[in-house]
Amino acid sequence: MIERMDLLRALQARRTDEIVVMTMTTTLQWPLVSRHDLDFDFLAFGMGHAADFGLGLALARPERKTIVLKGDGGLLMSLGSLVTYAAHAPANLLILLLENRSYEMVGGQPLPPRVDFAALARAAGFHGGGATGRGKVERIESLGGFEANLPRLLAEEGPHFVVLPVTNKEPLPPVNHSNHAGRVQKLRKALGVA
Amino acid sequence: MSERGASAAKALAKFEALGFTHVLMLPDSESRLLYDAVGRSPSVRLITPCREGESMAIAAGLWAGGKKPLIVIQCTGLMEAGDALRGCGLGPRIPLRLMVGWRGYAGAIASKKPTDSAYTYTEPLLSAWGIPHWHLMRDEDLPLLDTMDQTAGETSLPAAVVTGFTFRP
Repeated sequence: MIERMDLLRALQARRTDEIVVMTMTTTLQWPLVSRHDLDFDFLAFGMGHAADFGLGLALARPERKTIVLKGDGGLLMSLGSLVTYAAHAPANLLILLLENRSYEMVGGQPLPPRVDFAALARAAGFHGGGATGRGKVERIESLGGFEANLPRLLAEEGPHFVVLPVTNKEPLPPVNHSNHAGRVQKLRKALGVA
Repeated sequence: MSERGASAAKALAKFEALGFTHVLMLPDSESRLLYDAVGRSPSVRLITPCREGESMAIAAGLWAGGKKPLIVIQCTGLMEAGDALRGCGLGPRIPLRLMVGWRGYAGAIASKKPTDSAYTYTEPLLSAWGIPHWHLMRDEDLPLLDTMDQTAGETSLPAAVVTGFTFRP
């Protein structure tokens, strides 16, 4: 099990010019470690669709990696998306599934306990799939394992779907739902397409 | 007046002329030939999601990254995708371009009963969302794609054409 803030700090330490899309509770904690023009807060943009948005970005901007920090509850809201990624995800899409087994944002209600997200991704055809035919599904259980594998995940051709079991002991900052249009315009400007 | 239903080949030519880079589309009975035509296009990439809410978010990501996607969607899928349309189009002012298949239209105008409820709610739903939309029922209506495209671009909001008949070759 990985403490989520430690995971976010480790990612921030290695991140350079990648787009980072985050959603739900990660939108509250990622800004504590990162202030980057290519950070994109997907909160309130559509339940369960953060990685779908990331897929679109990755297809549009093949020259840079798109990293999606996604929750397991959100994935359950659009589970068929795994099949879409298995068919269309490009080499530069890295989905980090932060598995906390709960709907943390709305009170921590537990998810159905027996779901195996890595197995679901494999069964959807992600492993050996994606647009490259070289998709990878992995599960990393420790902070050390994440830190050791992150340089490879950022450098090698994907797409990648990585399940990371996480906990959180830190207090969550307040939710900010504001300025959705401004968020998109800021990202487009940073990408040079505004 | 030409036959009912636009030509899939002519619609695709219009997509290409308007510079659409991606078409997000699930096949349905009425748009089957359009789906096949887009799949053969060398310049427009076909993306097939599993459910229509994905289309909205993928298209929003493509647009944020500088591409120009078109979402072809049956009205039933549009109803399913309501939250994603809100969150990825209307709220953040992303100009999603939509081609909405109006299931039940042909039967409704022929006064066949019972009317498909998918027919009943399509236009009221588009109106409730404030999405401007135009009827594209025949080849001579294809220029309405320009109108839809221009409106979406100028308002930076979703806009739609609505198709009521099966596409012809």
